[in-house]
Amino acid sequence: MLAPPIPYKPTNAELYLPKPARILRITQLTEMEKHYELAFLDGHRLNHQPGQFVQVSILGVGECPISICSSPTRPDTFELCIRRAGSVTNRIHALREKDIIGIRGPLGHGFDVTEMHGKDILMIAGGLGMAPLRSLVQYVLDERPRFGQFHLLYGCREPKELLFTDDLTRWRESGDVNLKITVDRPDEQWRGRVGVVTTLFADLPKLNPQDTVVVIVGPPVMFKFVVIEVLARRIPQSSIYCSLERRMKCGIGKCGHCQANHVYVCIDGPVFKYGQLKAMREAME
Amino acid sequence: MLDRMLTHPELLELVNELALQRRIVGPVARDGRYFYEEVTRATDLDLTFNYCVYSPRGALFPPQETLFVFKRTNGTFTAEPVIDVRPTALVGVHPCDIHAIRLLDHVFEQDQRDEHYLSRRAHTMIVGIDCQRPCTEGVFCADMETNAADKGFDVMLYPLSDPGATEPLYGVVYGTSIGRDWVLYGRRGRIPTATDERTFEQYQRHKTDAFPRMLRMKADELPALLDRSYDSLLWEATARRCYSCGSCNLSCPTCYCFNILDETDLSGTTGRRERTWDGCHLREFAEVAGGHNFRPKAGSRLRHRIYRKAKWIRQRTGLPGCVGCARCDRACTAKINSVEIYNQLAEEV
Repeated sequence: MLAPPIPYKPTNAELYLPKPARILRITQLTEMEKHYELAFLDGHRLNHQPGQFVQVSILGVGECPISICSSPTRPDTFELCIRRAGSVTNRIHALREKDIIGIRGPLGHGFDVTEMHGKDILMIAGGLGMAPLRSLVQYVLDERPRFGQFHLLYGCREPKELLFTDDLTRWRESGDVNLKITVDRPDEQWRGRVGVVTTLFADLPKLNPQDTVVVIVGPPVMFKFVVIEVLARRIPQSSIYCSLERRMKCGIGKCGHCQANHVYVCIDGPVFKYGQLKAMREAME
Repeated sequence: MLDRMLTHPELLELVNELALQRRIVGPVARDGRYFYEEVTRATDLDLTFNYCVYSPRGALFPPQETLFVFKRTNGTFTAEPVIDVRPTALVGVHPCDIHAIRLLDHVFEQDQRDEHYLSRRAHTMIVGIDCQRPCTEGVFCADMETNAADKGFDVMLYPLSDPGATEPLYGVVYGTSIGRDWVLYGRRGRIPTATDERTFEQYQRHKTDAFPRMLRMKADELPALLDRSYDSLLWEATARRCYSCGSCNLSCPTCYCFNILDETDLSGTTGRRERTWDGCHLREFAEVAGGHNFRPKAGSRLRHRIYRKAKWIRQRTGLPGCVGCARCDRACTAKINSVEIYNQLAEEV
């Protein structure tokens, strides 16, 4: 008689399982965005790189990808900035401090911070792009002696959409970063700059092309115009990083939803070098 | 080289023995068309089938499956993965579909092992059946070099017609020890003779001439062809007929994209996270929360699918992303034809 099939031992059965995490603190950032500080119930640390993301679960509703907005240099907890946009994020917005949600991750390929050590840093954030970028901003500020000059340009459509305004004030007062902010559509209280984010480039001192790393996070439409400004300052293409947004379902390079041309944004990115993006026409559309 | 000879009745006896240990899935006739279905007896199978409307991928990667079950208690939750360990035998798989399964194996193995697929795959035995001639008009498996398979099966059956016999005689090639053990422990069939080997050689010679070449280029030239065709007007022009219904995705043996959805009981305390097949031709496939769609036009979705099938998958995995079965072309409600697309693109360059 035929022998039974060889017993098979799965080694990765928990691939799709979220782990329970407690909401420690909730801050309303804008009308649409809330800021969450979280820690895993079992005490393990997220151990992420700046620029990575997690899948956030409300069991029974679903999962959605959210960038991590805190730096691994502050390892005891992790933070997410969540815009109310779909069914899962609407349910998250209804939660209170001490409630528990599911977290899967960290996922994706983040910023290679060691490549940035010793360099001048120029970061450009557009809109919600400030959320993933904040993980890197915090990292640079926490490891400030490792970096040279640090410029941060931030553009939003309206003043009320500015994220992390307490941080912005603190960062500016610290003197550790040259922070410039602009909005497209000012309100009556706005005393700052008006215009798209590229107008802030006029304020920058002369950059040292060989020793500057540029990080761009924002909507695709912004990306193209910012890259032109950066290339015009003779920054090599290999020194330009950016982070893409896509619909990620599995987060592990299988389900196909986040594919942009030949790459899976969830595992090949979300952080890419500009050189990789040039071959990805969909990245900038 | 053949390993064994089996008559049709002997094969049926072996399959019936296998059915004592494994769920049997194979081609079943339904109103003149064939579908892969679970059967309890070997005689329910029809191994003379031309082609199955859908590929056998559903037996390994079901249209809907549970990834884990969860329970919400005391404000937190517990979750338990669901892994399928049912022993299964896929009996009657054509070479094109064997190539497609090899791609699925690769995709679910690489980077992060997906045990939901891999466990089911490890418990599945594959009995291939070779095609001596095209199963129907319009297939381009010879162009894709997928009309024969030398691995990816446990046993391959070559239907060598026995002169004077009404029942087919199969030449058997073992792919794995599981396949060999099945045939040998069953004590069926006989050792191939020199005459059998000559018949097999004739079979292979006949096969070389039997498959038409449909494409004006070789399969390994398709990536370069597509490289030059990104901005072709043909995408939008062809997709004007597309209903974005996803029938091409549904019928494709190498489509493995999926969605993830939750199901709960009425109280919401227990439930399941499910994965379901998804398709890149569906309008909302690349849409993010908030409404932005990264591929809002049918033309960009058609281009995406064709690029995946003929370029990106091949480049990423080294395996064919399209096996030339033409199920997409037959399933298309608008009669969009992939061979026609490739040949028209070749004319533009």
